[in-house]
Amino acid sequence: MKILVCIKQVPDMESRFKVNRDGTWIEEQDLAFRMNEYDEFAVEQAVQTKEQLGTDVDVTVLSLGPGRVTEALKKALAMGCDRAVHIQDEASAQKEPWQIAGLIAAYARGQAYDLVFTGLQSQDRGSAQVGVLLAELLGMVCVTTVIDFALKGTSVSVSRELEGGLKAAVQFDLPAVVTCQLGLNTPRYPTLPNIMKARQKELLVVPAADLLLEQALTATEKMYPPARKEGGLVLEGEIDDLADRLLAVLKEKTTVLRQG
Amino acid sequence: MDATREIYWNVGHGAALPMYLFAFLAVAVCAYGFYRRLRVYRQGTALARRDRLFERIWRGTRNLFGQLRVLRVPAPGITHAFFFWGFLTLFLGTLLVMLQVDFTEPLFDLVFLRGTFYKIFSLALDLAGLIAIGMLLGLAVRRFLYRPRGLKIIVDDYLAHLSLAAILVTGFFIEGARMAATEIQTDPALAWFSPVGLLAAQPMLGMEAAALGSLHQILWWVHFFLAMGVIGLIPFIKLRHLFTTPANSLFADLRPRGAIATLNLEDEKIERYGAEAVSDLAWKDIFDADACMACKRCQDRCPAWQTDKPLSPMRIVQQVGEIAFARAPANLIETVTTEALWDCTTCRACQEICPAEIEHVNKILEMRRSLVLMQGAFPGEEVMTAVNNLEVNSNPFGLAYARRGDWAEGLPIERLDEGGTAEVLYFAGCYASFDRRNQQVAHSFVRLCASAGVRIGFLGKDEKCCGEPLRKLGNEYLYQGKAVENIARIRAAGVQRIVTTCPHCFNTLGVDYRDLGLDLPVEHYTVFLERLLREGRLKVAPQAFACTYHDSCTLARYADILQEPRAVLKAAGGQLQEMQKSGNETFCCGGGGGRVLAEETRGRRINVTRVAMAVETGAPLLVSNCPFCLTMFEDGIKTGGHEGRLQVRDLAEILVERIQPE
Repeated sequence: MKILVCIKQVPDMESRFKVNRDGTWIEEQDLAFRMNEYDEFAVEQAVQTKEQLGTDVDVTVLSLGPGRVTEALKKALAMGCDRAVHIQDEASAQKEPWQIAGLIAAYARGQAYDLVFTGLQSQDRGSAQVGVLLAELLGMVCVTTVIDFALKGTSVSVSRELEGGLKAAVQFDLPAVVTCQLGLNTPRYPTLPNIMKARQKELLVVPAADLLLEQALTATEKMYPPARKEGGLVLEGEIDDLADRLLAVLKEKTTVLRQG
Repeated sequence: MDATREIYWNVGHGAALPMYLFAFLAVAVCAYGFYRRLRVYRQGTALARRDRLFERIWRGTRNLFGQLRVLRVPAPGITHAFFFWGFLTLFLGTLLVMLQVDFTEPLFDLVFLRGTFYKIFSLALDLAGLIAIGMLLGLAVRRFLYRPRGLKIIVDDYLAHLSLAAILVTGFFIEGARMAATEIQTDPALAWFSPVGLLAAQPMLGMEAAALGSLHQILWWVHFFLAMGVIGLIPFIKLRHLFTTPANSLFADLRPRGAIATLNLEDEKIERYGAEAVSDLAWKDIFDADACMACKRCQDRCPAWQTDKPLSPMRIVQQVGEIAFARAPANLIETVTTEALWDCTTCRACQEICPAEIEHVNKILEMRRSLVLMQGAFPGEEVMTAVNNLEVNSNPFGLAYARRGDWAEGLPIERLDEGGTAEVLYFAGCYASFDRRNQQVAHSFVRLCASAGVRIGFLGKDEKCCGEPLRKLGNEYLYQGKAVENIARIRAAGVQRIVTTCPHCFNTLGVDYRDLGLDLPVEHYTVFLERLLREGRLKVAPQAFACTYHDSCTLARYADILQEPRAVLKAAGGQLQEMQKSGNETFCCGGGGGRVLAEETRGRRINVTRVAMAVETGAPLLVSNCPFCLTMFEDGIKTGGHEGRLQVRDLAEILVERIQPE
């Protein structure tokens, strides 16, 4: 069985963000990067599937982006993926989901993957489209927001997280694309021997220019931080005291308690 | 009449042959017993402990004959020491007798046990025997009647106490019998130089000469076989510590205190890290178990054990021994349990007090290394999150690394990451950089330096976590990554020396980083400021205040820095009320060993326990010198319900308020 895991390297969400010069994305300077959290669930699930089925499974981890993404790929290899593909693209941040899915599909087509794991969405762009579009382009079944995954033969049963606390049980056959949601698993911490082994694993670099680039369907017009709103008020202290102070604020600064 | 006695009186020189034969046999059994144990020690990995041999011998000899480490706990220590000295005197006396009767007399016709020397000899041995009996009795009363909590009684204890007591008592009765038959009759004045013998002789005074002679012979042989029996028994019961404990002192770790073996992470042939089995530990770790007499001093001082957690450093040492000596070796980590391993705060209280110089902490660290590096395990998810944060942003809070230098905005300190230069590097550490409470400490320190006219710089966003919590949690890989980056930045900054406000940074940069090539002098700010005060460069106006002072484990037990912080306190006008556990015997805040990143899920809270000790002094202020301690105590005061009664502040915060305006 061949499994593909698509991961993205994203800036750490605690970073101090600045909009870049042309106002379409963020400045990369001084950012710390890490593997997209949802993609960690995807890697973990792929590795668990490999462990469940035995050695007859080959897991490829793929990432698109500039040179720095090899760090994320190495982590995925250390977690247990067998080989890595780096679609090298210095301008990946400027590409929109259709193009990114197109580049991945251009590589994956013909590789005969049985199962593709991706994160539900990226933490930075958050479009949640790449996985779905990839399935469309590869002509595969797509199941999103998976929080439970069980494979038996070529049949998969999953639990999907829906809005409002609802869950859906879905069954489908491979090949398929699965997008992973928080709660699916706890990503492992790579062991040192596996970190060492990862250094020896194959890391194939494919320039994005070698792959067919789809036409962009959307364009980012402007990137900006949300406008500042009126300053909020945070009350701190003992519960009893808090209630009184809240009451006072409501009385003084609002009209909600006024009668008539 | 010349004062002396006839050696071999009544037993005759014919006793010499069987005596030496059996003595040889006893020594052979003893040697064989130890020889068999060598095989067990050899299960461990190689470790060089024969360097600096003269220093080792000197240390070992001082510890053995001075009983220095046993004496650290006064009551049982003094009892043990006097027993040792008493028995040693008797042993040396016996050797003198042997020397004279079988060597100097037959060979050179030299008899030295005579005259005044004999009188001194006789009196000294009698008193030594009396002291030994008294002390042995004291030790027995403590162990078998008083039974201190945690002190276990095993068969070995009965055997050792009884056999040693029997040797001592029979010795005096032999003397008594001989004296009853000889010197009490012939030279009563001389008998007074053997007062205990004289006492023992009393019931035998009226006896027939023949019966007395037989009694003496029987006692003599009983005494002899008891003594030989004990010699043969030594390696097989707890008495083995006669050899193993001094030997352990000889093989002690002579590196700076708290030194940890730096793993080679470049060698790709190594596929096993840390200790999962006893055979992954060093031979010395197994030998340690043989030197342990379960005196439970370590356990009594372990902050985890004292707050009802499953960790007992003594038990871990013993478990290593049990597994090493078992026929079918059990899994070390499963036996010790991960809970016990994660509960350690690496405070070194166990190691500091151990009379046998056993190395508890590094055993625990080796097992943690196995857990983290081989299994990717953590004490809890919150720790895994913190470690991931450390990996990405180089601080456990997960805050943007690029903001690491923000705390110093507007302060008189050079940013070495932005082209500034300085001779002294202030390595701020994660807590002073990001934690609001601890930023006040950093601010205070910078202002103190400025007031003393010392130009300092810091690395700003180029500084990373020193890696201490990572290393103590067993994550050597990530630790080395952070350390190597820091060392490169420090070197590039061109500074001459380093000062830290965090004792953990201090110890890591000053001790751990040596293995990775950093060799600049590193100081903790308490030492640094104390010197500035002493030299008159820093001028403060003392204002009286009452306080108690918490020695952080890392300053006190890793670096022996006890006086400087107290001198600074005094200069500030502090009236110090010491807690019961202070100085080298300080009690951990609970934040060491990476525990500052972990939830405390077992037993009572260590920080609350320590805060209660501070409250007990009646002082309204607890002074700390460490960001982990400060954080733990702020929390401990709240959760312990001591708000309003006790406040915790860092030494620098107090001192900065007393700066004298120029």
